[in-house]
Amino acid sequence: MKSQEPVQRDLFPGALEMMVLRTLQREPLHGYALAQAIKRYSNDLLHIEEGSLYPALQRLLKSGSVNAEWRISSTNRRVRVYRLTADGARHLEREVSHFERMLEGITRVLAPGES
Amino acid sequence: MNWLARIFHRRRFRSELSEEIRAHLDELTEQLVAKGISPEEARAAARREFGNVFRIEEDSVEVWRWPRLEDFLIDIRYGLRLLAKDPGFITIAVFTLALGIGANTAIFTVADAAWLRSWPGQSPKQLAKLLAATPQGTDNYFSFPDYSDLERQVHSFEGIAAWSRHAKTLRVGTDSQSVLDDLVSPNYFTVLGVAPQLGHVFSLEPDQACTAVVVISDSLWKRAFHSDRDLVGKQVSLNGGSYTVIGVAPPHFHGLEPGVPTDLWLPVATEYDASQLRDRHNRDFELLARLRSGVSPGQARVELQTVGRRLADAYPATDKARDIRLLSESERLRKAIVPVFVLMTLIGLVMLICCANVAGLILARSQTRHREIAVRLALGAGRFRLLRQLLTESSLLAVSSALLGLLFARWLLTMQPAFMPPSDFALGLDLRINLSVIAFTVLLSALTVLVVGLAPALQALKPDLASALKDDTFSRFSLARGFGTRSLFVVAEIAMSVVLLTASGLLVRSLLFSHRIDLGFDSQRNLIFFDLAPGVANYHAEQSAVYFTLVSRQIAAIPGVSRATFARRVLLSDSGGGATLPVSIPGVELPQGQQNIPIKFNAVAPGYFQTVGTHLLGGRFFSNADISSTAGVVIISSTLALRYWPRHNALGQHLIAAGKDCEVVGIVEDAKINHIHESTEPYLYVPFAQVPSNEGTLIVEALDDPRLLVASVRNRIRDVNPDVPVTVRTLPYLMRQAFWQDQMSCSFVVALSLLGMFLAAVGLYGVIAFTVNQRRREIGIRMALGAENRNVLALILAEGLKLTALGTVIGLLVSLAAMRILAGALYGIKPTDPPAFLTAATIAILVAAVSSYFPARRAARVDPIDALRYE
Repeated sequence: MKSQEPVQRDLFPGALEMMVLRTLQREPLHGYALAQAIKRYSNDLLHIEEGSLYPALQRLLKSGSVNAEWRISSTNRRVRVYRLTADGARHLEREVSHFERMLEGITRVLAPGES
Repeated sequence: MNWLARIFHRRRFRSELSEEIRAHLDELTEQLVAKGISPEEARAAARREFGNVFRIEEDSVEVWRWPRLEDFLIDIRYGLRLLAKDPGFITIAVFTLALGIGANTAIFTVADAAWLRSWPGQSPKQLAKLLAATPQGTDNYFSFPDYSDLERQVHSFEGIAAWSRHAKTLRVGTDSQSVLDDLVSPNYFTVLGVAPQLGHVFSLEPDQACTAVVVISDSLWKRAFHSDRDLVGKQVSLNGGSYTVIGVAPPHFHGLEPGVPTDLWLPVATEYDASQLRDRHNRDFELLARLRSGVSPGQARVELQTVGRRLADAYPATDKARDIRLLSESERLRKAIVPVFVLMTLIGLVMLICCANVAGLILARSQTRHREIAVRLALGAGRFRLLRQLLTESSLLAVSSALLGLLFARWLLTMQPAFMPPSDFALGLDLRINLSVIAFTVLLSALTVLVVGLAPALQALKPDLASALKDDTFSRFSLARGFGTRSLFVVAEIAMSVVLLTASGLLVRSLLFSHRIDLGFDSQRNLIFFDLAPGVANYHAEQSAVYFTLVSRQIAAIPGVSRATFARRVLLSDSGGGATLPVSIPGVELPQGQQNIPIKFNAVAPGYFQTVGTHLLGGRFFSNADISSTAGVVIISSTLALRYWPRHNALGQHLIAAGKDCEVVGIVEDAKINHIHESTEPYLYVPFAQVPSNEGTLIVEALDDPRLLVASVRNRIRDVNPDVPVTVRTLPYLMRQAFWQDQMSCSFVVALSLLGMFLAAVGLYGVIAFTVNQRRREIGIRMALGAENRNVLALILAEGLKLTALGTVIGLLVSLAAMRILAGALYGIKPTDPPAFLTAATIAILVAAVSSYFPARRAARVDPIDALRYE
């Protein structure tokens, strides 16, 4: 692996994957629907370049957190639908608890007044 | 698996990804259009929203990449492309390395088979050879009673196997053949842990020990019995006796002597009677013991010595001063290391020369790659990455050479029968390219990669970029330093091959001269020799005499037979020629204490001398009258006549041979008895009929092609008695056997000198090609100034011939000094034989001219404009 990851990330590493997994946990989705869902859930607060989903999805495919199959979409297009696997669910749980601990730490540091 | 699949299905993967992304963009565009934006704007907005499609695809593909492997595949593809651009280079390089690897693999295989292979059998580390240290040296052999005592009394061993090597005649149907048999202790196969592939092995029950049973080898089973699966239980005829086959040994078990494979095994009691088995004087048996598990060789050694001393006390006449030792497997291998080490050093040297030559070729080529490498470095290629690329290229070379080399080695090994002496037995080492040999080859090729690849690679990566890109004066300077040593190396190679060529020339000429040696008989005649052994069919000597008469009468009647006669010994036969008769000659004083003169002899029937073409110098040949008469007559060789009757004619004189008074009736020319190079010695011929024996050789001279007669003569012999074994040899076969050793050493040195010459040629080619590349600009300028192609050609050729001349002169001088060691092996010529030296020098110069011609031609084709602009 190269030392400089060429993927441009607005978020901390792994955040995008976490969001993708959480979204897929609700229902299996194809790429476009996934992008729209993430935007919708985040109330457009996070700016995500839609294309950056695809490398993230490939990473998740490679680690076995999701699997994919070709289907026909509601708009009658051939699309690849991604589904969370059991492995992926476990991975998500770990990541979320890790994230919450981290967030708690950051919040404490940022909290005014206490020493 | 999935990863690999993705690497190889990259194209499909990409197209699927593109399709997915396109669908995404279309959907996005549609949504925007639905919001009332114009299609073009919507498409542009969608692309903005999506991001850089190309980069995203790349990043997605990147996720799956397996960088090491893929870079490696790219390196290989790139390397193959580069090599394919220069087929001449690749051919020479691969051929040189394959030759080295192949020859070395073959040599290693032989060394492995001859020395390094463990005892055949289960857990060979537990096996140990027993030896006796005596004041005269180490003795491998033990008497059977000593063996029985050791087997019974030494408890450190699970068992001791004993074997003794003999030869027999096996008859299958109407064919007889000579076979090698081992008389073995019944526990032989059990101790070794060798299980038969068919039937069973010898029973350990004492009451069954004497039955006539035999276990045959896999090779004999295939050779003589056509792999008959029902052979077990059948009878076979050995030396006229009938034996039951009880088992077939597994393939690859050839007994315990490498190179002399055993054809069959018999229990010792089938051949030795009770008194022989009790005879402590008769040391016939070699012993191999299996250590009990948990017993160290040291413990066994102590116990062996104790039992040995007890034996020495009990049987001082035979067993005194015999210290029984044990050679464990690890010790045996350690001893074998010495010859193997010497061989390996030689192998290493040959390989190093091959590698150095190929490295030279690569170096010559790397000059053109110098700029390529500099450019790639300048464009940011990592040095490590480039080094890897260069090493991959040399690995490619090494791998293809190793494969070709293995094929070459296999071919060399199949030639083994051609290197074996002509023999009645199926001699030969069990040569197999096994895992250790392959490992050895891999090791050799790895070494090759390092030597061949690393030096030029490091050299290529060394230059500082700026000057290499500007102009190559710097690199020329740094590479030129290596040039001097490489020229010296080539000069040394040429000198060495000239030495070898001189040796070959001498040996070839000596061989030609030996063919002209006066053998004392006519080696061009159409003679066939039928060795008959009526003794095997239980004939007494007197009965045999009748048998021989009967046979010779039958044979003489066959059309196509010009002459037929009998003799006790065959011309130039390596065995049996040493037998002597005790002779005393009236009037000849013997040295004190000597009873008589032992003189080598042959018993021959009338017509013998005429048949083999030995000339009579005086007196007469044996006649039919000598057969019936009991009056002793002898014919003597001229050396015998001159030695004992130097002053007067030996004809009519008397001598006493084996107690019988004989008259000298004839004198014949000296003949070679056992070996073509032996010096003449006194020799005696007695009438065949007067020395009864139950062995003899029928000598038949054919009117034309002797091979046509073999079958009919054989049939007649069989008609007389089918139980008498017959072995057939022709005169050409005997001659081949006689010349085999000379022929072999000659071929070996010739092959070696050809290899040496080839390597020298490759080395020279490398150096000259290097010079041509280096002097490209100079050549361009010369041509621009009006030099013609042939001037350039001459210039470069002169360069090559200069090195060659130097090497040749050195080689000739070394030969002049070194060939003296060959003096003993040469016949008819001196070690300073001018034609041999001249030929060697001529060959060296011709080969050198050819190998420098190719780069010279390339130099002559240099386009001056190209060469000058190149900088």
